[in-house]
Amino acid sequence: MFKIIKKVLLYIFLIFLALELLVRVFHLQNERPNRYADDKGVEKWVPNQEEYSVTGNRRQNVGKYHINNFGFNSVHENYSPKKDATEIAIIGDSFIEGFHEDYTNSLGQQVERNLVNTTVLEFGYAGYDFADELHLIDAYDDLFDKIDYSFIFIRFTDDLERGNYEISSRLSLDTPISKAVKQIKLLVYLKDIGALDPLLQLPGKIINFVSRTKLKNEKTDEELKKEALVKERLRFKNFKTLLEKYPIDKNKFVFLLDSSLCSDEFLNYLKNNSYKYLDLNSILSDSVKPSTLIYDQHWSKSGRKLIAELIVNYSKKHFID
Amino acid sequence: MLFNSIDFAIFLPVVFFLYWTLFKKNLKAQNIFIVFASYLFYGWWDWRFLALIIFSTLLDFTIGNFLKNENRVLRRKLLLSVSVIINLGFLAFFKYYNFFVESFVDAYTFLGSTINVSSLNIILPVGISFYTFQTLSYTIDVYRKELEPTKDLIAFSAFVCFFPQLVAGPIERATNLLPQISNKRSFNQNQIIDGLKLMLWGFFKKLVIADSLSPIVNDIFNNSSTYSSTTLIIGAVFFAFQIYGDFSGYSDIAIGTSKLFGVELMSNFKFPYFSRNIGEFWRRWHISLSTWFRDYLYIPLGGSRGTKFKNIRNVFIIFIVSGFWHGANWTFIVWGIIHALLFLPSFIFNNNRKFTNEINLLNSFKEFIINSLRIFQTFVFVTIGWVFFRSESISQAFLYLKRMFFDFSSSLYVHPSGYRMVDYYLILISFIVFEYFIRNNERNPFYFKNKFLRFFLYVVMVFAIILFYDDGVDRSFIYFQF
Repeated sequence: MFKIIKKVLLYIFLIFLALELLVRVFHLQNERPNRYADDKGVEKWVPNQEEYSVTGNRRQNVGKYHINNFGFNSVHENYSPKKDATEIAIIGDSFIEGFHEDYTNSLGQQVERNLVNTTVLEFGYAGYDFADELHLIDAYDDLFDKIDYSFIFIRFTDDLERGNYEISSRLSLDTPISKAVKQIKLLVYLKDIGALDPLLQLPGKIINFVSRTKLKNEKTDEELKKEALVKERLRFKNFKTLLEKYPIDKNKFVFLLDSSLCSDEFLNYLKNNSYKYLDLNSILSDSVKPSTLIYDQHWSKSGRKLIAELIVNYSKKHFID
Repeated sequence: MLFNSIDFAIFLPVVFFLYWTLFKKNLKAQNIFIVFASYLFYGWWDWRFLALIIFSTLLDFTIGNFLKNENRVLRRKLLLSVSVIINLGFLAFFKYYNFFVESFVDAYTFLGSTINVSSLNIILPVGISFYTFQTLSYTIDVYRKELEPTKDLIAFSAFVCFFPQLVAGPIERATNLLPQISNKRSFNQNQIIDGLKLMLWGFFKKLVIADSLSPIVNDIFNNSSTYSSTTLIIGAVFFAFQIYGDFSGYSDIAIGTSKLFGVELMSNFKFPYFSRNIGEFWRRWHISLSTWFRDYLYIPLGGSRGTKFKNIRNVFIIFIVSGFWHGANWTFIVWGIIHALLFLPSFIFNNNRKFTNEINLLNSFKEFIINSLRIFQTFVFVTIGWVFFRSESISQAFLYLKRMFFDFSSSLYVHPSGYRMVDYYLILISFIVFEYFIRNNERNPFYFKNKFLRFFLYVVMVFAIILFYDDGVDRSFIYFQF
C-alpha cells in the first residue's frame, strides 16, 4: 500500500517537474512585476522590470512590458516635461497600463506617434480606481502642473466604489511567500488559467457544506433594479466627494469613459459642471473587429487602435490646434 | 459526483485508502463500505433517488431468491415479469412518460382532434438506464438458470451500485461482477497502476477531446442554419469525436477506478472509428449495451435463426430499441433505424462478421488504401447518424444534412470564443494517430516497453489537459442524460 503511494507521489513529482520545464520553455506563464508604495504613498511597480505578460492557456496574447524609472509601463524612462513640447498624461487602471500589448506599441505610444512634438506619459496601474488616480495627481502635483493636459480613465461600474483614498491591500500580494511561490511558474500558470479555482474554492465549499448555508433565493428584477440604483447613487456621491478633496483643473483634465456604463445622473452632472469627457462607447460598440480580448475584458489590438484614434482626434481638435 | 470534479478528487483517495486499510481484512465490511461509498457518490447528486436504487436492489434480490426455489415454469415466468415490468416501469415513467404523452397529443392533433393532457415536470434520475439494465440482467440470468442467485444482500447491493460504473456503465453482467464482489479481493499493485494509467487516458479523452470540442459543436449545431457546408462538416465530425471522447473517456475512468478496488469491468470501447464496416463498429462501440441487447433481446427474439424476414425484423427491433434506450426523442429512434439500414446489407450478405481480425494499415500499400477507404466510409456513415443523435429534432437533422450535402458552400470557421482553430485540428490528428498505435490495447494504452517513452506520454497527456483546460465549459458527461 505505502509502496504504491510512494511510487505515485514520485511520479506526480516528476511530472510536476517536467511540466514546470515545459511551462518555462514555452513561456506559458504570465509574469507580473513587483509592486511597492513610494515615499509619497503612491502605489506603483518597482522600477526597471521587463518581462512578458501572457494571456490564455496557449499564449493567445503576449505583450512585453517595461517598467520605467517612475514605476509605470512606458517607453519613456523619466517623466520630465519640456517647455518646448506638448505633454499628455494618460492615467488609469490595467486598460491604460496595457500589459496586453508590447510597451512600444501601447495606447500612449499610438497617440504619441500621431501627434507632432508630443510626449505621452502613461500612468497605468492594474487596479487603480478614481481615488488612486486623484491621489497620484495630488501627490505629484508639481509634475502634473507641467503636463499640458491629461486623460483620466474611469469605469463607472468599478472605479467609484470608495469616497476616500487609502493605500490598497494589493501591496500585500507581494509578500516574501507570494514572491517565492511566483518562482514556481507552473503554479502561476495554473492559477491564471483558473485550473486551481476548484481547489482554492474548496475551503469555502466545505464551510458552506458544514454550516449548511444555503444560497439565498434569487432576487426579483425589481429588487435588482433598486440595488443597482443605490449603487449608482453611491458611486456618483463618491465621485463628487473625491473631487471635492482633490479638485482638478477642468480645462486640463478630460475623463475617458464608456457612457453605456454610466448613470444618466452622472453624465448630466459632468455636462452641467463643465467636466470634459471622451466617450468610448460608440467606437467600441460599432467596431467590426472584436474590441476586447478572448480571455478577458481588456482591449484588443483593434480596440486600442480605435481608442488611440479617438484621443488623437480629440487632442487635435481641442488642444493642439 | 462527477469524475472530473474536485469532490471526486477528494472522495477517491479517501475511499481507496480506507478500503485497503481499515476494511481490508473483512470482505463483508469491505462490501458494506463499497455500498456506503457508492450511495454517497450517487447521493451527492440527489439523495432522493437513492430510494429508487435501493428499491430496485431489494426487488431483484428477492425475486432472484424466489426464482431459486421455484421450479414451476409459469411461476418463474411470473416472477421474471414482475421484475421486468417494475424495473422497466420506473424507466418508462422517469424517462419516457412525457415523450409518450406528447407523442399521443401530436398524433391526435395530426388526426384533427385536440386533446388536453399535461406533461409532468419529471427529473430523470442519473444512471437509471444503466442500473436498471444491470439488475435486469441478473434476474434474467437467474431465470435462465445461468447464474446462481446470491444470498448476500450486501454483495448484491454492491453489484448494483458499484460507484465507478453506477451512472454511465459499462453495464455489467452479474456473471462477471458479482463473483468478483462476493469473493475476497487482494491488493494488486500492478492492477492499481494499470487502473491509474487507464484513468489518465480517460481524463485525457474527456477533458482534451470531448470538453474542448464541446463549445464548437454546440455553436455549430445551435446555429446550423447560418453556417456553410464546410462548417457543418466540422460540426458533425467534431461531434463524432466529442461523444466518443466523452463516453469512452468515462468508461476508461470507470474501468480504471474499478481496478483500484480490485475489480475488473468489461471493456466498453475498442477504437470504434477504426471499424471497417458497421457490423465491426457495433462490436467496438458501447460494447456492454450492444451485447446486452444481443443476449437479452436479439437472441430471445430468434436472432439470426428462422426466416430472412424474421432476421431482418430482429435487426430493426434491436437497433430501434437501442436508439430509444438513449432517450425519449424521435431523433434517437431515427438514429437507430439508420444504423439498422446501414447494418442490413452486410447482414443479408453474411459479411457482417467479415472483419474480426485486428486492423493493420501498414502491411502493404494496397491494404492501406483499401482499409483506409473502408474506415473512412464507415466513419462517414456513422457521422451522418450522429447528426440525428445530436440534433434537437428530426427536421433540424434533415436541414443540417441538406445544407451539408446539397447546398454546398465553404467558409472559414471561427471558434465561438475566437480561439485558434488549428489547435483543435492538430490535437484531433494527434489523437487519431495515437489511437492507431494503441488500437489493440484498449485496457492498457501505455503498453510501450520503454519506461522513458511511457513517462513522456504521461507528461504529454497531463500537459494537454492543462493546455485545453477551460473553466467555462460544461463538464458533465453526455451519457448521464441517458
